[in-house]
Amino acid sequence: MDAFLIEASEDSPKILFDSNNNIFQISGRSLPENAIGFYQPVFDWLQLYLQAPNPTTNFEFMLEYFNTASAKQVAKILLFLEKLSSKSDVVVKWCYKKDDVDMLASGQRYAKLINVKFDVIEQQ
Amino acid sequence: MADFSNVNLNFAYELFEGMQKDNLGYIYRGHFDQNITDNILLLTEANLEKEEQSSKVRKRIYSIMVEGLQNITRHQEDSEEASQEYYGIFVIQKKEEKYYITTGNVIEKVNIDNLKTLLEKINSLDKDALKDYYKEVLEEGSISNKGGAGLGLIDMARKSGNKLLFEFDPIDDKYSYFYLHTVPALAEGSEASEGSDESLKNIMNIHKLLNVGSVRLIFNGLFNQESLLNLLGTIKGQITGSESVKNKVFYLIVEMLQNIIKHGTNIVPDSSGNPGLFLIGEKMGHYVITTGNYIMNNKIDKLQAKIDNINSLEAEDLDKHYIKSLFNFEIDDSKESGLGIIDLRIKSGNKLRCSFHQVNKSVSFYTLQTYIINK
Repeated sequence: MDAFLIEASEDSPKILFDSNNNIFQISGRSLPENAIGFYQPVFDWLQLYLQAPNPTTNFEFMLEYFNTASAKQVAKILLFLEKLSSKSDVVVKWCYKKDDVDMLASGQRYAKLINVKFDVIEQQ
Repeated sequence: MADFSNVNLNFAYELFEGMQKDNLGYIYRGHFDQNITDNILLLTEANLEKEEQSSKVRKRIYSIMVEGLQNITRHQEDSEEASQEYYGIFVIQKKEEKYYITTGNVIEKVNIDNLKTLLEKINSLDKDALKDYYKEVLEEGSISNKGGAGLGLIDMARKSGNKLLFEFDPIDDKYSYFYLHTVPALAEGSEASEGSDESLKNIMNIHKLLNVGSVRLIFNGLFNQESLLNLLGTIKGQITGSESVKNKVFYLIVEMLQNIIKHGTNIVPDSSGNPGLFLIGEKMGHYVITTGNYIMNNKIDKLQAKIDNINSLEAEDLDKHYIKSLFNFEIDDSKESGLGIIDLRIKSGNKLRCSFHQVNKSVSFYTLQTYIINK
């Protein structure tokens, strides 16, 4: 299936889903005015992927910042990944910059709530 | 822990009223550097474009701002440990379709006489004489040992087409504030308009208020995603402290401003944003972030109850509440995530403060304040 790419903007993250190369990344800042509208195409693509997923799916979050409206969308993505894990070996990698205690706390909170393999990783 | 319970939240409404009265749009008080200067320019440029000012007018306002800002940057006291009262101030306001730009910076008292002489000379010259004088100074090289200051003032006088209004206000034995108030001429041949002494005096008073309240930046205007992003850029370079403090301030600001964008009420129908006030200050080792916006009176009770409830919860219950709201997609529409207030309480680690000041039968002014320790 075709790769999915949204370039980063001042208030929205870069999103790259490339199932052929097994890359699933969301990185940067997420504070769009309309988070639901922004993430809708992301879910559309993921729904298609769910029909024929790779044997393993490494899903990486490398967020610098997200607002609460985006927090819900992230929760939705994670719930989707939980569903996906019945068809594919899902590993979530939640990366946070050293000293970003809030991003670390968010990762730990999500890890507790979602039933998939979930690694919280510190980056320099 | 610092106790903020005595800090009067009505301060915000008083400022809002004062700023509205004189149409003060934006005040920045602090140390000025290239980054701050650029962001202030960007913020204004975006506003001017939205107002569909002609490119000639925009350019004129822009160049007066550049000179004014460079004036502050060049002449502010550079010492790292400069106390807050030595900060420079930059104010932009729009009254009766004209823009007024006011700058204030600290100068050594020994330089006052020279500066006064120069300003009086500039004000005594007509358009052509000013042009000649500009050339003269240009050829002679800089007057001031910091370079080009005299030239900058002449240029501001030429671009504004008006006299430069100025004022000195002593701080201590050695230093004084130097205020400069200019109004760029909007159109060629349009009637020259001078800034008013009263307006400058009002700004000097507000400056004193800001010094007392340790306020660093105020934005009074229409809030939308664009002004939010510009403000974030301006603020970023001004937050001192650890990365973790910077991140927290950033989180709080975004959430509070998006709160105005999404939930604020507009009393004058205008689609470009909701009117409101944003201020950030430093007090007793804390960053204090305050927002103000209009709210419909019939929504106050519900909001107050929500905030009271969030304030009554502590660590674990707060987290439970957050999670419940996080996975509640029922109330998830583009307007309300339901998480904002809980998030503010968790991230700041402090109780939220709020007040409602009734403006008329249908709306009130809602002030929300958070603070975080700067360590």
